[in-house]
Formats: sequence, C-alpha cells, structure tokens
Amino acid sequence: MQNSRNLALWHYWVAFGTFLPAVLLGAWQMLMRSPLPAPLDDPDAYYASVTLHGTAMAYVVTTFFAMGFGYAIAATSLGRPVRGVAAAWIGFFICLIGTVMAVATVFAGKASVLYTFYPPLLASPWYYLGAFLLIGGSMIWVVLMVVNMTAWKHDNPGRPVPLAMFAITATALLWAWAASGVLIELAGILLPRAFGWSDLIDAALGRTLFSVTLHAIVYFWLMPAYIAFYTLVAEAAGGRLYSDTMGRLTFIMFLVFSLPVGMHHLLADPEHGSGFKFLQSFLTFLVALPTLLTVFSISATLEIAGRHRGGRGLLGWIGALPWNEPMVLAVGLSLVMLGLGGFGGLINMSYAMNLMIHNTSWVTAHFHLIFGGTTVIMYFAIAYEMWPRITGKPLRSKRLASWQLWLWFWGMLITTIPWHIAGLMGQPRRIAIFDYSIPLVARTAPLVIISVIGGLVLLVAATLLIIILVRSHLGERVLAQPLRYALAVNPPRQVPAALNGFALWNAILLVTMVVTYGYPIGQFFFLKSHSVPAIEVTSQESAPTGVR
Amino acid sequence: MARDRGPFTLDNPWPRIGWWSTGGLLAVAVILGFIVLGREQQNGPTLGTWTAICRALGITADIGPAGEPQPPLRTPSRIAWTSATLAQVAGGNAEHGAFVALNCTACHGEQGVSQTGLYPTLAGMDATVIYKQLDDFRSGKRSWGAMNAIALALSPQDSADVAAYYASRRNGLPPVAGERFQAGHTLRESDPAIRLAFAGDPARGIPPCAACHGPGAQKLGAPQLKTQPPDYIERQLAAFAQGFRRNDINEQMRTIAVQLSSDEMHLVGQLYGAGAAAAQVAGR
Repeated sequence: MQNSRNLALWHYWVAFGTFLPAVLLGAWQMLMRSPLPAPLDDPDAYYASVTLHGTAMAYVVTTFFAMGFGYAIAATSLGRPVRGVAAAWIGFFICLIGTVMAVATVFAGKASVLYTFYPPLLASPWYYLGAFLLIGGSMIWVVLMVVNMTAWKHDNPGRPVPLAMFAITATALLWAWAASGVLIELAGILLPRAFGWSDLIDAALGRTLFSVTLHAIVYFWLMPAYIAFYTLVAEAAGGRLYSDTMGRLTFIMFLVFSLPVGMHHLLADPEHGSGFKFLQSFLTFLVALPTLLTVFSISATLEIAGRHRGGRGLLGWIGALPWNEPMVLAVGLSLVMLGLGGFGGLINMSYAMNLMIHNTSWVTAHFHLIFGGTTVIMYFAIAYEMWPRITGKPLRSKRLASWQLWLWFWGMLITTIPWHIAGLMGQPRRIAIFDYSIPLVARTAPLVIISVIGGLVLLVAATLLIIILVRSHLGERVLAQPLRYALAVNPPRQVPAALNGFALWNAILLVTMVVTYGYPIGQFFFLKSHSVPAIEVTSQESAPTGVR
Repeated sequence: MARDRGPFTLDNPWPRIGWWSTGGLLAVAVILGFIVLGREQQNGPTLGTWTAICRALGITADIGPAGEPQPPLRTPSRIAWTSATLAQVAGGNAEHGAFVALNCTACHGEQGVSQTGLYPTLAGMDATVIYKQLDDFRSGKRSWGAMNAIALALSPQDSADVAAYYASRRNGLPPVAGERFQAGHTLRESDPAIRLAFAGDPARGIPPCAACHGPGAQKLGAPQLKTQPPDYIERQLAAFAQGFRRNDINEQMRTIAVQLSSDEMHLVGQLYGAGAAAAQVAGR
C-alpha cells in the first residue's frame, strides 16, 4: 500500500463517517412519512433531510469510497507507488470543502431541492458550488487513475493490465462521462441563475443534461461492488476466477451501455419526442448483458471454489463455500438483492410499463434495493477486506461482521419490499405528509409501518459497521497478509489491445452519445426553449403554510 | 499487438465487432422507435412514415407551449355601464314610456304591480334595471316566454322611456334611497334568512343580499327586492343556480345561488317578499 495507505484510509473514513448520519436521516424520513408519531414533525425539515440524505449517499459516500478504493487498487494491483499522491490530496480537500459547503447550505434550510436539483427549483448558490467542487474535484482522481494505468502500460509493454486496475479505470472513465452532464448543468444553467446572472431557468435542458448523469451514476456506484465480485470474491472463497476476459468485457460493456440510456428517467417528460425515449429505453435493456454475464461468471467462480473445497453434486458446492467469510456472505446476499431489484429495473426502463410506477414509491424502493442493498453491502465487505490491509489491524470478530451483513440484508428487504407494494398501490414519492384518514392512503399504512421497522434495522446495522471498524482501529497491529487479487483459471498472458485499454470504447461511446443525445440536447438551441421562472427555495418562508 | 491498436482500424476483429454491433443496435433501435412503432397509433389511423418520424422527434403541428383550453367566448349581457348607457337611461321620456307600458299591463299589472308570483312588479323599480333586462331579452341573453319577442319590438329609446315611466311610479316597490341598512345582524343571527340577507355566509363565499339589493344599499343594475312576489324571487334564484339564467354581468348571482339550498332560496324569497300580498291589494 506504500504511499497511498493514508490516502485510502481518509477517503474511506469520510465515506463511512458520512454514511451513518445519512442512514439516521433516512430512518427518520421513513418514520416521518408513516402514521407513527415522529420527532420534529415538520415538512420543511423533511425536504431538507431528503436533500441531505440523497446528497450524502449519492455524491459523498460513493465518490469518496470509489476514490479511496481506486487509490488502494492502484497501489496493490500494480504493485508500485501511486503516481500523483500530492494531486490526490488536493483532490481530496477540494471534494471535502465542496461537501462541507453543500451540507452546511442544506442545514441552513436554503437548498431543499433534493439531490437531483429539479430545476426550476432553485437553491442557494453555495449548494450548487459545493456540489460542483465535490464532483469536479473527483475529476482529479479520474485523471490519476488513467495516468497510473497508462504509465504502467508504458513501463510494461505487451503485458495485460491487471483486471482490478482495468476495472477501476473503467469506473473512473464512466464517472467522467457521467459527471459531464451534471457539471454542465451546474455551470451552464443552475449557477448562473443562482447568482442572478439570468432571470429564467431552462428546466427542460437542465433535466436532459442531468439525465446523462442520472443513470450512469448508479453504475458508478455499482462498479466497486462488481470489482469486488471479480477480483476479491474468488480469493476469499478459496478458488479462482472463472474468466478474466469476461471481467474485462463486463466493465467495457458497463462503460458503453450505462451512458446513452439516461433518458429512460424522462419517459414522462414532455420536452422530448417518443423516438429518442424509445431509443434510449431500448439501449437500456443491453445493461442486462454485463449483469447476466457477471451473475454467470461469479456463480461459476463460486462453484469452482466450492468444488475445490470438497463440495459434490449438483448443488453441494454451495454448502461447501466458506459462508463465515464476510466477502463470500456479502456476495451471496448481494446477488439475491440484485436479482430482486434487477427485475424491478426492467419494469422501470420499459417505456410502457414505467407509466404504472412513475413517480411512485416503487422507484424509491427500487433504487434503495439496488444501491442501498446490492452495492452498499459490497462496500461493507470491501471495507472488511481492506481495513486489516490498510491499518495492519485485523477485524476483532468476523462473526460480528457477518451479523452486520445479515442485519443489513434483512433490514433492506423489510424496508423495500413493502415500499415497492405501496408504490404499486399508487403512493407518490417525495411527499412529506400523508393523510392516513383518507381510505385510499390508509391502505398503505401497514406497509409503511413495516418499512419503518426495516429502517430501524438498517440503522442498527450501520451503527454496527462503525463499531466494527473503530474496534479494528483500537486493536493491536499484527502482520497482515497482503491484499491478493483473484487469479483466473486461465491467467491472461496477452490480451488484445481492445481489452487492455479504452481508446476504442471511448470512441464508440462518443459516437453513440452523439446519436442518442445530440438531437435531444441540440433541439433546445434551435427549436424550442423551455426557460421558465425559477422557484426559489432559498428562504423557507417563500411559500405560505400549507402550500409547501 | 501493435497491429490492432487503432480504434478506427476496421480490419482488426475487435474494432470491427465493436463498430458493427454498435451500428447495428442503433439502426435497429432507430428503425423501431422512429418508423415502425411511431407509425402505429392506439386510437387512430396509422401515420405516414414522415409524420411518424416528426412525431418521434417531438415535432408536431401543434408544437409550442400548450394553451389553456379556452371555452367559447360568451358575454352575459350586451350592457356595460358606460356614461353613454347611463345618459340614455337618464334621458328616458316617462310620458312616452306610459304609452309603451300599455304593452306590459297584461302580465305585470294595471299599475305595474304584479298580481301573481309568475311576474315581477315593475312599479318603482330602478330605471337601469328595467333598461338592462329589456336589452338582455332583446339580445337573447335572458330568455322567458313572451318577453324576448316584446323586447325585440322595442327600440333602445323605447326601453329607456318605459324604464323611466315605471321608475317614476310610487305605488310599487319602495325606493332604496332613504332606507337605512339594518345594522345589528351578525353571523350569530338565528334566523337563517335574515342571516343570509344581512350577514351572508363567508364560509361559502356568500355576501349579504342587502349589500346590493337593499335595504340600505344598491348596486347599479341590481333590482330592489322588497315586496317583490316571493315565488318570483325564489324561482330566479333557482334559475341562476341551475344556469338557466346567466345574464348577471359578473356571474355573481350564479356563484351565490349555486351555494344556496332550496330551503334557503325559499326563506330568502319569503323574507324579501313579505309585503307583497298587501302591495298587490293596494296596487290593483
């Protein structure tokens, strides 16, 4: 880990330090929406909390975690010091300052616009500036990942880039492409209006630009989990990776397929014609390819490990796996949640079926199951794997870690399954108060109460995570095993240039983006303008009571 | 290795596979989204290819901000209270009006005092009110029996004359001028008719009747109601509530009447028409 030890550790601690209070906010929001009495029963506080929860989880936790993971991978997989550590620290502090600015503005009640911004809602410029610094600062990390991979390739001509490094570079490039949408929206639309340089706000263009970010960002969140699937699981299970090439193809496909698809978030928006909505909805289905490829190859990897450990018969290898290893347990639970959430996703991305669940709690439940479940449980497992390597201090108890993973798993299922059903019954999302005396709303009350219980279980699990990590810090230093990445059954000696770099895929992605987004964005400049007056939420007294 | 480096060299397998599959997928999606599926309409004939492509791009004939659906323009009355109108009413010739009024006596009474609940008393009614109602009958803004045909036979000047004649009669409706507003009635008033007439019902957006119809106040164009036959008052309220009568310029009577129960209409009619029976005997 050499010079990147502290770098990775600080990134992880910012991520997990933000995570716990954000979970607390989430649990309170569930309580607030329920028929049960909640402390601080105030709709304004609710929307500020939703903004804070979303901003913390979607931008802060994930970006810091991915950056820390990236630096750790660059050091361990390439087996040499990370280049540009000074720049990395500068990036860390820019992101940290941005985080503090954004969080402070939301706390001041001047930015309750939710993390997706929703123009023409307008927040204080400090919030947008904070978000810009946080996302923009992470671009330094993107450059460093590319620089480190390129430099290694230059020094090792003809050798395949280690899969972990290849994958984290794909993640970095994916994030650069994804972030371009939100950065342009912030710099070109939201900040000029927030500073008062323009009177109107082009809400439709803003939403379209954000859609570039909105779907790819979830794959940016998901990628560390997939990297763990491909590079850490086999080693923890005591076997070998089924296929290195499938891993490379998976990450390449995620890079190409997760971007030209964001307009399936705008299926109910009036500013676009049906053609591009269908086109991007169609391309979204291709994301199933790398997902199913991964499910197949990780199952195969686990089977190899299980049979190696003496498992026999059609399914006997499953029982032979070391389920007491947090990484193995996490991958099992993660794949269960991916299965449930993935099928929900097929409904969301379908042009016609989406109308049934658009803007209902179903959508919120879906992304909590996929992100909060599938993805974050792998973040935990990665932390349990990385912490001993970074600090030199092992986890005090793997049993407690397994408990934490199980609690999180059940908490997430108990929260999201009733939430899905409430959405199907028509419960809208982004609503602070429900009048449960209305018969139509009253039907959802038992479901919402079950979700609250799940939220409390999640809060316990999140607290347990911090306890486990802090206990590890307080323990004694022992000589830790170096982090070893999974060896493939057939380790690659040579791979085609197309599977060892990203030039071809970036070129393909650029053309695809121009085809899929060129007209939808370009039309605003020559066909129609959607500039509307902004709705300022910078002062809480802006709306009369009862209208908020 | 060095051979297959460029992303645009199509003779190498990976770029060839990448570009061809990307192009193929985009082509399939574009053909499906812009032509095949775009042509099919759920509730209409299949579109032409060009129309389908334009629709899929979001370009339709009605592109532009969606307008609020506008109901056809309908004015409740031709009368506006301009100084010209008021001057014409004020210049009515009562003597000629008495001659015109011979047409009215069959229904509205010899002396302009209605003997039945079917017709209103005209004697003593404000001239602007009669002038406006005659014009509304003439233009079809208000419909009732023979009145439309009678009004069509009258010129605007005839209307002003007959209005002046009836306004000058002292045997019918008491003039509003000189009456005092009956203070002291509040929302706590127990008689619902008195409460409605003098305090209204703010919770339902109903102003007091007396604010326009007297006693104690009168708004331009609003008839005084005291000693008007109660059945007539009640029926007009019902007509406003049901939308049969729509010639109140600011829609105020339709807004109010639709909030009233039929019991309330009856009670208000009784309240204002209290002296009608005595007036009928006197006005024979």
